[in-house]
Amino acid sequence: MPFNSSGSDVIERYTVSPLRMEIDRFVVPAVTLFIALLLFFFMLFPLLAILKLSFFKGGEFAVANFTLANFQRYFTTAYTVRALWHSLYVSIVTMIIVTVIIFFFAYGMTRTTIAGKGFFRNIIMMPLVAPSIVQALALIYLFGRNGLITAHLIRTEWSIYGPIGIIISEVLYCLPHAYVILYTTLSAVDIRLDEAAESLGATPFKVFTRITLPSARYGILSAAALTFNLTITDFGNPVVIGGNYNVLATEIYAQVTNLYRFDLGAAISIILLVPSLMAFIFNYYISRKTFSMISGAAKPVIPPSRPLKKISFTVFCSLISFGIILIFVIVVLGSFVKVWPYDWSLTFGHYHFPSIAGYSALWTSVWVSLVVGIVGAFITLVAAYVMETRKPLFKQFIYLLSVMPAAIPGLVMGLGYILAFNKPYYFFYGTPWIVVINTIICNFTLGILSGISNLRNIDPSIEEASISLGGDTLRTFFRIIFPLSRVAFFQNFLYFFMRSMTTISAVIFLVSATVHLAAIEIIMLDNDGWTASANAMCTCIILIVLVVLGLLKIVSLKTGGRRTGLTAEV
Amino acid sequence: MSKNLILENLSKHYGSLIAVDNVSLEIQPGEFLCFLGPSGCGKTTILRMITGFEEITSGKIIYDGVVINNVIPQKREFGIVFQSYALFPNMTVNQNVAFGLRMRKVPQKVMNERVDEILGLIGLRGWESHYPSQLSGGQQQRVALGRALAIKPKILLLDEPLSALDAKIRIRLRTVIKRLQEELGITLIYVTHDQEEALALADRVVVMRNGEFRQIGTPWEIYKKPKTSFIAGFVGISNFITGKKENDRVRFGSRLFRVFGIDAVESETVHLAIRPENIDALLPESLAEGLIPSNIIETTVEVINFLGSVVRVAFMLEDEEMLVDISEKEFERRNLKRGDKIRLYFPPDAFHVYKELFRKLI
Repeated sequence: MPFNSSGSDVIERYTVSPLRMEIDRFVVPAVTLFIALLLFFFMLFPLLAILKLSFFKGGEFAVANFTLANFQRYFTTAYTVRALWHSLYVSIVTMIIVTVIIFFFAYGMTRTTIAGKGFFRNIIMMPLVAPSIVQALALIYLFGRNGLITAHLIRTEWSIYGPIGIIISEVLYCLPHAYVILYTTLSAVDIRLDEAAESLGATPFKVFTRITLPSARYGILSAAALTFNLTITDFGNPVVIGGNYNVLATEIYAQVTNLYRFDLGAAISIILLVPSLMAFIFNYYISRKTFSMISGAAKPVIPPSRPLKKISFTVFCSLISFGIILIFVIVVLGSFVKVWPYDWSLTFGHYHFPSIAGYSALWTSVWVSLVVGIVGAFITLVAAYVMETRKPLFKQFIYLLSVMPAAIPGLVMGLGYILAFNKPYYFFYGTPWIVVINTIICNFTLGILSGISNLRNIDPSIEEASISLGGDTLRTFFRIIFPLSRVAFFQNFLYFFMRSMTTISAVIFLVSATVHLAAIEIIMLDNDGWTASANAMCTCIILIVLVVLGLLKIVSLKTGGRRTGLTAEV
Repeated sequence: MSKNLILENLSKHYGSLIAVDNVSLEIQPGEFLCFLGPSGCGKTTILRMITGFEEITSGKIIYDGVVINNVIPQKREFGIVFQSYALFPNMTVNQNVAFGLRMRKVPQKVMNERVDEILGLIGLRGWESHYPSQLSGGQQQRVALGRALAIKPKILLLDEPLSALDAKIRIRLRTVIKRLQEELGITLIYVTHDQEEALALADRVVVMRNGEFRQIGTPWEIYKKPKTSFIAGFVGISNFITGKKENDRVRFGSRLFRVFGIDAVESETVHLAIRPENIDALLPESLAEGLIPSNIIETTVEVINFLGSVVRVAFMLEDEEMLVDISEKEFERRNLKRGDKIRLYFPPDAFHVYKELFRKLI
């Protein structure tokens, strides 16, 4: 056969490598096994350690050792049992306030024609870039015992420490999380329903109560459940602003760190797990219904709002935005003011961190977060691909395992890690790598869910086209699926990176004499009375997150020029 | 070169739902075969079983004498063209066409030649470095065709490849596909719900319904001798008349039609199908010489649909709306208008006679 003739004559000589196809058969099972083992070992195993320690004497698993003594002790000690009521009270009040505020905020953003929507959206999302301690720090600078407003402007004895402080800081912390849900809901519900009702003669109030509210009910419930969960599991804000008002999260920490009562800490973890698990399951159930209500119909433009409506929503959104901006301004300003609020001269002095760790904690946080971002985004994307597209055995089981982390409070997971891995043969214990693993596992759920929703946007025929042309799993993933998921990968990277930079509760038990993290340093500094330096550390974290956010935006804009639409339009 | 492909007692069940019900067929090398049927009839499921993306519940798929039930899709070397094109959006036209060759580690030089050859074949030379989103729908489907052909597939399978395109481009691409298939001599299996497409393209058409093969034949046979009333209604257009047998005639209301071949059906109630173009429009003054008087009706023009070369006229027969096609020339000559009287003749040999009637959902 003449080799130099047209290509078609020799094409038949080439076939897909049989060896590669043999190996390919093991790729999906291997990845599935890896994900299952990862979640078993780094999620179920630590949880089991907590269960063991709380229900069995000395943590020794045996029928004879079964005991409820820890729980009995918890419920018979007035001080500790109060933590449960405190937690529930704070979480329920926060839940109600956040849901109401965010509903109207999201309504303003989706159903009115107010100006400055882009600005409002950026502001409401801002709390995500800072640890959930920034709110408490700022509120103390304003309303604390030496607060600018309380002690110096109105000169009152009253200070914000306690439930009010916790509630206000949690409200300001939960806003973006609840906003994402209600914004999606309200923009998905067809606005033409409102118009239809109006055209049939319904008053605006009737339209609102009969059409708008009911059609958004699942979103409202879902946002409420999420807020409840976030508040009851938060550690940073209550530990700083709670004062003597203990909640479950701070109680776990106190039992373990101050009193070395790991068994009681484990028991309280179980008590905290119950409501947060319930809120999670409720939310999971609800969010399935939410999606079924989203209609695919094209939505017409929003009709111009009446002036009064426009003004009131602008004022309302501005007020909420002002609250959030104020928090950030106070913290950043507080890090530069010499002695708040007495000596207003500016200084970089607070950035010479008095603690041992200082900047090294910051650098550790940065590289840990980069690793968490890249590895976390990659693993969750691969897991989503294997589960969604290749439908392996036990798919439902793996799926269940991968949504579980969202139900487990970070503090509980952290405690579980100490109990499970504090053994000499777990070489990674006491190194930053345990922080890496913990942070990836704790945030696994959102990563995998966004990975799955991304894959559902890719035409399944594309995958089949690759296979029919001889593509194996690895090459199909790396040459086609991964490039098409670039946007989702960047988003997940950012999510993991931000969570890793700002999370406190999950890793507070994992820092040690050798491993320091910036977010934890804030608490340490504040605890030791270096509040201004705590603010400085907070400012550093915010700055780093914002820089990475900006860089990623530039990168995605630069590469966005290439044609990588999902399914090309006809 | 293609070899023959045999489906042997092939079935696919999804739980209690039977998608494909024990079908058998032999497809000849180089044949252009169309699976035609309404959505949900199981035609795509068969295609997906042939490609290897759908597991077979029972039966065999045999290619070149070898059962390929358990051969993975990568090794079947069948080319597939998808309804959604499924081009890789992150790759250029060139990279898309070369993908299968790259998967086979074809040397760069051979690959370049082959890609160039394919681009010539699909008429897209000069578009190598464009991304799919920069192409029109028709061009995208050409790339999809070229990508599937690049690996010299043993069989080419197309799943409703033209249904996302607009009518003009659809007809043009139809010709491209037909010409390519004839030039390359490749076996081509084509799935569509568009009867016009199936009749225009195929050597043989398999009409499917409810997971079964209802009729297999050339487009000519399918159109001229539809085996069931469903096919008579689905392929082309038919008027249906339900009546009672009276000797060699069929009673329909007050009318008594003379129909050939009603002895083949035993039941007393029979269903007649007659295509609009097989009803003759008689001139008002013309003598009905040699025509059977009972098959001539007088009626009025109800609705006029101008279709180009023919005009489709709706009229009433015993309170049922029927259609007759009159050539555009004839229509113009008679200057017909709504409400005009016309005389129509139903030739006794133009009827298809069926025992059962498939109720169309209109």
